[in-house]
Amino acid sequence: MTMIAPKESGSTPSPVLIYEKVRKLYGEFVALDEVSLRVDAGEVVCLIGPSGSGKSTLLRCTNALEPISGGTIYFDGRALPSVDRDIRKVRQRMGMVFQNFELFPHKSALDNVAIGPMTVLGMPKTQARERARALLAKVNLADKVDSFPSNLSGGQQQRVAIARALAMEPEVMLFDEPTSALDPETIGEVLNVMKALAEEGMTMIVVTHEMAFARRVADRVAVFEHGTILEHGSPEQIFENPETARTRDFLSHLGWDG
Amino acid sequence: MEFDFSPVVDSWRYLLDGVGISLMLSVWTMLGSLALGAAVGLGRVYGSAWLRVPLVFYIDTMRSIPVLVVLVWIYFAMPLLTGLNLSPFWSAAVALSLHIAAYVAEIIRAGIQSVREGQTRAGLALGMSTAQVVRVIVLPQALVRMLPAFGSIVSVTIKDTAIASVIAVPELLRRSETLAGQSFRPIEVFTAAMLIYFLLLVPATRLIDLLYRRVAHLGRS
Repeated sequence: MTMIAPKESGSTPSPVLIYEKVRKLYGEFVALDEVSLRVDAGEVVCLIGPSGSGKSTLLRCTNALEPISGGTIYFDGRALPSVDRDIRKVRQRMGMVFQNFELFPHKSALDNVAIGPMTVLGMPKTQARERARALLAKVNLADKVDSFPSNLSGGQQQRVAIARALAMEPEVMLFDEPTSALDPETIGEVLNVMKALAEEGMTMIVVTHEMAFARRVADRVAVFEHGTILEHGSPEQIFENPETARTRDFLSHLGWDG
Repeated sequence: MEFDFSPVVDSWRYLLDGVGISLMLSVWTMLGSLALGAAVGLGRVYGSAWLRVPLVFYIDTMRSIPVLVVLVWIYFAMPLLTGLNLSPFWSAAVALSLHIAAYVAEIIRAGIQSVREGQTRAGLALGMSTAQVVRVIVLPQALVRMLPAFGSIVSVTIKDTAIASVIAVPELLRRSETLAGQSFRPIEVFTAAMLIYFLLLVPATRLIDLLYRRVAHLGRS
């Protein structure tokens, strides 16, 4: 038996994010249909499910890159704001990592990481670069600080992107299929960085097709389909004892044999 | 047939001053069309729907009227209509700027819109404002992508200054016409003019191409 408990903290878990009946419509299309979910501090929650099931949409709604059509998302006890200036304050506290990395091609790895603190927090260049250097070392790219994105492999680019998000010292990290665009041989290096981050106690929401990662690292797994959460629970529950036939179906399609 | 290039050789100073005026006109036209084109292009991408209507109208107008017509209108018709009198040189600079700015605006719009939406999302996700995203992330990449197109604008501008000859701006072509008329040596004089334009432009376009190849990767997201 494995315990399902928030890591370390010991005291009662405090929710960082609460999704309450969140709806998202694109015209007629219902991308999210009353999704409710709670993410506690220090938790790693993996969102799995077929493409187009709403996982990435939920992530983008979390930092207001997409406005929601109904329901409420609470971050740190408060509903997401609607005023642009307040939205920016919230985004500064959430890091996001994209499927296609989205590094800035006109900046070196170092400046990709330093640009957030410099532009958004007004941090002096030397100080921002110092922080960037430390973060690049943390994702094992100390030797690539001066490289431009075009000279980095996919796995290296994604690690720079993780460092870039961490530079804002976020309270939550949102990962949107971080390994889907990677060559198989570089997936591991990115997952290792993410695993280390999880072990440090970072609160993480990870949209992923990496079932082995979800199985090993997640505290909870939520299975999406057609804009709703089919079921959610501990990885053991989801992977070894799924409640719904659709979950079993989805997992078997991915070659997951339990 | 016998060729005699002595009129060109004897009057090299006269022609060279003409080249100087052609280049001066090019520089003013480039400054004018860049400033106006940037304003129109940015307005078209980031402006309100109301602003976009007149801007699109301006671009369409300038792209459908021959630059020569704009030039003679500004030089001959505008003073009669408005009482505003411009010298031939400034008439040419204004006409060329108005014309070329429309193309510059389109290049700027296309350059900005070619930068992937995800780049903007990445900037916003860090907490940047839209203005910061444009300034720090989108425009630098867009500028790199615009370089080859700006290369053509530079050569089109220099070439188009030749039309200023119709309102007697004493630039290279005008002076060549004068010299050809006086010396009865049109073949030699106009061939020399052709060669001068060629020698001015080939290095310029090569240089921009070279520069672009150096920096292309900075705009590739």
